[in-house]
Amino acid sequence: MAKVKVASVWLEGCSGCHMSFLDIDAAIIDLANAIEFTRTPITDIKEFPQVDVGIVEGSVGNAEEEEVLKDLRAHCKILMAWGDCACFGGVCAMRSSLDKDEVLRRAYIESESTVNGKIPHPPGVPALLDKVLPVNNVVKVDCYVPGCPPEASAILYGLKELLAGRLPVLPPDMMRFD
Amino acid sequence: MKEITLTIDGKQVKGKEGDTVLEVCEANGINVPTLCHMKGLTDVAACRMCIVEVERERRPVPACTYPARDGLVIQTQNEKLEKYRRLVLEIMFTERNHLCAQCVASGDCELQKLGYRYQMDSTRYPYAWPALPIDSQHEYLVIDHNRCILCGRCIRTCNEIVGVHTLDFGYRGWKDVVVADLNQPLGKSTCISCGACFQACPTGAIYSKKSAYKGKRPESKEVTTVCPICGIGCAVKGFVKSNILFRIDSPDPSQHDGLLCYMGRFGPLSQDHPRVKTAMVKNAQGKLEPCSVNEALETVAKKLSQFKAHNGSGSIAGLASSQASSQALKAFKDLISGTLGSKLFDTFDGDEYRAVMKGIKAFDSKADLKTEVPLEEIFNADCILLAGANPFDTHPVAGSYIVRAVRKNKAKLIVLDPAHNVLPEYAAMWLKPKKGQEASVLSNLAKSVGGGPVKEDATTGIGQKELKEATQILGKAKRTIIVYGGGVLQQKNAALITALYKLAAVSGTENKGKADVVVLKSKGNSRFAWDSGVSNGTESIAANLAKNGVKALYVLLADDYAGANDVAAPKGLDFLIVQTSYLTPLAQKADVVLPSPTWTETGGNFSLLDGSPISVSRLVKPAEGTRADWETISEIARRFK
Repeated sequence: MAKVKVASVWLEGCSGCHMSFLDIDAAIIDLANAIEFTRTPITDIKEFPQVDVGIVEGSVGNAEEEEVLKDLRAHCKILMAWGDCACFGGVCAMRSSLDKDEVLRRAYIESESTVNGKIPHPPGVPALLDKVLPVNNVVKVDCYVPGCPPEASAILYGLKELLAGRLPVLPPDMMRFD
Repeated sequence: MKEITLTIDGKQVKGKEGDTVLEVCEANGINVPTLCHMKGLTDVAACRMCIVEVERERRPVPACTYPARDGLVIQTQNEKLEKYRRLVLEIMFTERNHLCAQCVASGDCELQKLGYRYQMDSTRYPYAWPALPIDSQHEYLVIDHNRCILCGRCIRTCNEIVGVHTLDFGYRGWKDVVVADLNQPLGKSTCISCGACFQACPTGAIYSKKSAYKGKRPESKEVTTVCPICGIGCAVKGFVKSNILFRIDSPDPSQHDGLLCYMGRFGPLSQDHPRVKTAMVKNAQGKLEPCSVNEALETVAKKLSQFKAHNGSGSIAGLASSQASSQALKAFKDLISGTLGSKLFDTFDGDEYRAVMKGIKAFDSKADLKTEVPLEEIFNADCILLAGANPFDTHPVAGSYIVRAVRKNKAKLIVLDPAHNVLPEYAAMWLKPKKGQEASVLSNLAKSVGGGPVKEDATTGIGQKELKEATQILGKAKRTIIVYGGGVLQQKNAALITALYKLAAVSGTENKGKADVVVLKSKGNSRFAWDSGVSNGTESIAANLAKNGVKALYVLLADDYAGANDVAAPKGLDFLIVQTSYLTPLAQKADVVLPSPTWTETGGNFSLLDGSPISVSRLVKPAEGTRADWETISEIARRFK
């Protein structure tokens, strides 16, 4: 049987979800027999091939993240969101209740360790969006594995369900919002 | 009450007429999810989590307000209801910021639990997130409106259970928030800081600075006991993690004894005074130096036996705080009067004791402290006279009892106080006598209530009209209770106390001849100290140290920081022992300091206001080697054998 092709991206997040994925330990051996990893932050491949499953960690907070996410969506059949940032906005979304310009000013000019600070502008860096968004506010998402980060067991559950041909919904005892 | 039969989820279940559908479900072990419902509060169907399907109703109805009737057929779980409940959750999660990773309540939150139960792994709506302010000026509490789901549990608790009604809704629609008074910061409002709203909050919208990030209730050890701080005896549940007490709740806020106050809920978490961690003895340079407890005990025993031998027993005196446990007070009296043979022992509230006893005896020579009724009797009264007491300051739970009696039982409240109308919203009238004229007002009232003429007495400051009104209220009442506190006790005026008892005895048609009185005493274990004669029946020892030629003074403060703050170490004193939890000003002048654990570290026996004994368990383990106060005192006594 042909392996299921998977691509994953890490947007505005801390990489904790991918770390949690690596925490599945020995289970990764069986998984590697069934899954082929293409572009992921772990394999360091930059180009998207057409894949069966796209996985996204992190929320969408700037123009680049938005573009990468849309690109992933265009290249995958099923899109799975990992972690609170992708599912709900997470810690990154703390800035959503503040004005974007105020956030930039505080970070780049007014922060205590900054001398003669300047706010960086595109094209040098991607432009910030007004708000930090959960992934499903930007593209269609097919399934979710929440948690900050999700337990390794929840990540494995999500992948196994997909391999079994079902869209995963975490059972209540695996649900985590933090 | 008539029994009714309903069919819930295909099963025949019994309920009582007057029950709501939710009450029938709860009584029959059928779990229906709730958020805005809390036992003991009026149900308002604000959250819609408890929706159920009732046969012949066009749409789902909230179980918490739907009256149960005989023959109803109800569904509590089906696909449609589950779908609606998840929808309700998604709307609540998206309206304001409920991202758990940003919230102090994560892991101890009812909204989060329901999110898990309904497998809410995403939300379909954009976040509204109106930028709402955070009120963090209060000493103990923070209100973060961004985490509020507007269930109103805090508001109903503040109103219906605590009785102060500081909190209510302000604004409308998107801007709807919980406000204190007319939108004051909580810390500047009429809030009595009891923290009941914090316990009622199902999310992280109201949280305590004393508990935040210190532990989560589901991951901690629970100890249920009784609070000994003021003598009312409220049940408390302490939450302990790694031997740190991080939160105190009421075990069941719907019960009569389910109230707590700022002292009980936050006091033990706010011990900011420097602790006495070891025993200390003054060195040759006159500075206190840490030493072992045994060393300190040896010094104490040696010195006291010297004073006894050279200066006689009368050169030794003992003063105790009535905040100490019954065992400690008893051991203290045994040591001073038995082992050391001195009659000079007293408590810091001894003046109050002597005034009360003298006042009672002048009223009825056979009467004693047993005339006092339990505080709960307030709920059976239709008239309450509150004299010289500000219960929301000193005994807040008593304040709530009074307010509830006024609101629920329509009891008439008369406030007698020369300076403040302490419960203006609830008092039927405020008798405001001139300072020091309370006794005359009470005597005049006792005469007029007893059938005599209503006489105007210009010197008292109370006019004829008021006197007449008060006479009417007290005369018509079936059951009258007089509650008096610090404002009366601190006057040390026996005549005033006699006048209170005389009025109590003539008013109330059903309890005529009986003086139903509650005394809000200044310390938590005052009643034991008074009953057991640790308080001196004859004279104030603290005021007469020099006159009595006292050379050595032993002060037992236990965990009462303020107990001896107005007591100066008298001139001519050669030796001062202070046994205390905190390095108080008096302890700093001592020759020997003995460490006391706090009540949360040892527990002990105490007496409530009405004299009933309680046993208090410790909430945390004391520091290694710490002894209970009574053990320390007995150790000294042992050295004399």
